[in-house]
Amino acid sequence: MVAILEKRDLRDFDWLTTLLALAIAAFGVWQIHNALPTESYWSKQIYGIGIALVAFLIVAFMDYRRLIDSAPVFYVIGLVMLLLVLTPLGVQVNGQKAWVKLPLIGQFQPSEFVKIPTVLMLAKYYGSRKSGILSFREMLIGGAIFAGPILLIMLEPDAGQAITYFPILAAMFFLSGIKVRYVVLAVVAAAILIPSAWVVGVKSGKIKRYQEERILAIIDPDSVDPKGYGYHTIQSTITVGKGGLSGIKGDPETSQSVLKFLPEPHTDFIFAVTAENTGFIGCVSLLLAYALLLSRMVAGARQASDRAGMLVIMSIVCGMVFQIFMNVGMALGVLPVIGVPLPLMSAGLSAILSTFVAIGFVISVKLRRFVN
Amino acid sequence: MKIGDSIQNLGARIVVVQAVAFVLLALLGVRLYYLQIVKGDYYSERAENQRVRLIPIPAPRGAILDRNGKLLVDSRPTYNVVLSNEPLKSINVNDRVDDYARGLNLDRQFVVERLNLIKKQNEFEAMVLKENVGMADISWVESHSLEFPELRVELQPQRYYPLGTTLAHVLGYVGEISPKQLEDEELREKGLRPGDIVGKGGLEQYYDEYLRGKPGYRKVIVDSRGRVQSELEKVDPQSGQDLVTTIDLDLQMEAESQLAKSATKRGTIISMDPNNGEIFAMASAPSFDPNIFVRGSSTSEGRKQIAAYWQDEKRPLYNRAIQGRYPPGSTWKIPMSVGALQDGAITVAHSNVLCGGGITIGNKFTRCMGSHGSPPLDYAITKSCDGYYYHLALKMTIEGIIKMVETFEFDKRTGIDLPNEKVPQTPKTWMPWVVKHEGKWGDIRTVYASVGQDTVVMTPISMLRAIASVGMRGKMYTPHFLKEFKPIGAVGQESDITYIPARPGFGYQHPEPRLIELKQDQWDLILKGMWGVVNNGGTAGSIKMPGWEIAGKTGTAQVAELGKDTGGNKDHAWFDSFAPASKPEIAVLVLIENSGFGAANAAPAAKAMYESYLTRRTPPPAEGEVAKQ
Repeated sequence: MVAILEKRDLRDFDWLTTLLALAIAAFGVWQIHNALPTESYWSKQIYGIGIALVAFLIVAFMDYRRLIDSAPVFYVIGLVMLLLVLTPLGVQVNGQKAWVKLPLIGQFQPSEFVKIPTVLMLAKYYGSRKSGILSFREMLIGGAIFAGPILLIMLEPDAGQAITYFPILAAMFFLSGIKVRYVVLAVVAAAILIPSAWVVGVKSGKIKRYQEERILAIIDPDSVDPKGYGYHTIQSTITVGKGGLSGIKGDPETSQSVLKFLPEPHTDFIFAVTAENTGFIGCVSLLLAYALLLSRMVAGARQASDRAGMLVIMSIVCGMVFQIFMNVGMALGVLPVIGVPLPLMSAGLSAILSTFVAIGFVISVKLRRFVN
Repeated sequence: MKIGDSIQNLGARIVVVQAVAFVLLALLGVRLYYLQIVKGDYYSERAENQRVRLIPIPAPRGAILDRNGKLLVDSRPTYNVVLSNEPLKSINVNDRVDDYARGLNLDRQFVVERLNLIKKQNEFEAMVLKENVGMADISWVESHSLEFPELRVELQPQRYYPLGTTLAHVLGYVGEISPKQLEDEELREKGLRPGDIVGKGGLEQYYDEYLRGKPGYRKVIVDSRGRVQSELEKVDPQSGQDLVTTIDLDLQMEAESQLAKSATKRGTIISMDPNNGEIFAMASAPSFDPNIFVRGSSTSEGRKQIAAYWQDEKRPLYNRAIQGRYPPGSTWKIPMSVGALQDGAITVAHSNVLCGGGITIGNKFTRCMGSHGSPPLDYAITKSCDGYYYHLALKMTIEGIIKMVETFEFDKRTGIDLPNEKVPQTPKTWMPWVVKHEGKWGDIRTVYASVGQDTVVMTPISMLRAIASVGMRGKMYTPHFLKEFKPIGAVGQESDITYIPARPGFGYQHPEPRLIELKQDQWDLILKGMWGVVNNGGTAGSIKMPGWEIAGKTGTAQVAELGKDTGGNKDHAWFDSFAPASKPEIAVLVLIENSGFGAANAAPAAKAMYESYLTRRTPPPAEGEVAKQ
């Protein structure tokens, strides 16, 4: 019985998605090495990918439906982990208290992992509802599930991480049949409210000086102090532009990251490093690889045997698209500097682990598309 | 899709999500195209500008040597603490003031000035914060390198004046180019930039262009904190050319010691070769230590010392030999005699003029120091008879004196190769003023002018040149210090852009000596008088030397009104001479300020100079030479 299952599992296993994700991660290791060749981040990343791969396989071969059934347990565990950040067990890095240090396990970032229980919890709720237009009450319940982790993350405070949660909720609402007029209303409201919030925020002083500078660096790079809050944006833009068509091909002599002009090159600005080293050709190839990976995931969502599985995949897709856009947009100087990692590329054990676990869910859903 | 149909438009909604995802990725692609393909070169250049830096390698300045190759000025390695502005951009510099001032023991005000100055400079430039630092400062900088990455220690050749105060006025000193000099178009064209070391005063200034080398540079890659990561290119500097001067250090030392021994310790001694104008020695007292200017400007002690030099009433910074203007007193009688013979006011056959113990102009009697009857010219010179010249001047008239001034070019600088030489003042200078304020040039002014008083003030160097020309029977040479500039080799390959061609050596370009026309018997008469001053019972008979015949003229120039020669306003003592009288090899001028009689206070110093000269003279004086006279 077990043998038959495994045989079928291997036949239906989505090799292409898996290899694509691994290829991007390997490309990421190369860029982490380019960013800081003398540091050990790239070798740590290989180790991280190894751990992530084990977790990925465990999740992929598990029945996602059983995991969704026990979503409330994971959800509660997730909230406890986020609470731990706020206790003395929390560790402060770069002025943000977003990490927890536990005996045996070591140091990790709960907000990266809690995305998965949140997705599962929401998928459990919206996957079991009857078909039809999403009601206001259903939106409120989903919003309440979502509010738990978000509020705890905002208390850390880690606004950058919190922002990456919103696409999950948006995907859930949109694919659970929210009225199109609400979607239009939300887009229009955002188009009006965001600029006016900016104006009001600056005038009333609610937007802090550094936040204002970071946004001004996008709107008008020449107006800000190149050594001040605009520094990250300006240096990242220079680094990207200097890559040209085919990049400097790992020449550390002129590397913006080796010479420490580019800050956080192995994490937040890994895309700028990629752009500098591999040029336009490398960057477009990377974006195409992401597009292909996302397409494979969307295709999996279409084949999902139940609505919960579809919602899991699509909210993961939306989360990833949003993170890619925020991170690359920041590196290209069109979005303000927010510490969002680039999925599969940025150095960091928590990020690579949670991304591979998420893709593991996608594989699991696809594996069980014929089982019912 | 198995569940698709049950939800309104689910398939379409997934397509929308996918489409939005692709549009977002495509937007990023467009932006990438703009940054990397359209603006790629622009950003490459910006990246290069922030990582590539030129670090100048200072060129050693040429040494200065005496005529025998003895070292007068040199450069030696020193360590400076340098402040680079790049890491400073991101911090509030005011936070650093106290750290620097305490750590490097600097004046707080000086640190503030430096920080303000560096803020105005281009990116990636550096400026010296403290010069000539010791081990304590070096280790302080090294141990605070993480805290203050903008500081570094740099090796730099520094000008060193081993002789201290000796010859200071002639050598001058070096210092950072001043903002005023930077505004000078001519200097800017020579490629001088802020922070460059240039000559200030003396030979250092006059020959700066040749003494200064051409700096090289290192083109390096730096990181965001300005630390050098690797070197791209190195261009070696070309040293400055060595200057061999006409100075004879032994004579110079003698001159300095004579001034130090003098009554007031203020004055000047100059020695020159009358045959070509080469200066053997030029001392001016009191003097200063040029090392203080080179080292001291960054320490409060050094600044205090420099300020003290400027404020000192005795004016140690001032080169009395070329900048001092003194009434020449009786030494003026020599050019007067030449003028009178040229003029025809007297002749060799009839050179007798009445002394009369003095002269009465209007109702004012101006006396002679003695009563000499009606002496001939040579006797009047030997005994320094004032009455003779009072009457002679009236015969010559003031126009005759002015003509003599022009003959000896007392209305011009001598053209010595030192900066800031002063022009003497003479009746020619004063004539328009006197005529305007007094209606006419009165005879009394002519009488005073005949003995180098009133409207006559001379620079010692112009007096020496005039007397030496009399010894040379009318050949007047331009005094100078340059004997030779040594050549220096080329740097790099001729095909390189950075190639610096060799600089050839060269000697002093002698202008044609000015000829003062007088017949040989006329010269003989004057020279006989000057010989007699020392050798025939004249005013300086006390310095007579066996076998070495000095010809000269004493002078005791009144500073205050006649008869009030006391205290600080005592007369200036002059002795202006050359030797041997018949064929001069060396001329010596001594001026001791406010010391009294020239014969007593100036002539012995001249004798010491000749004695010093004779100990090293080659060939020794020939027997026949003395006998001939």
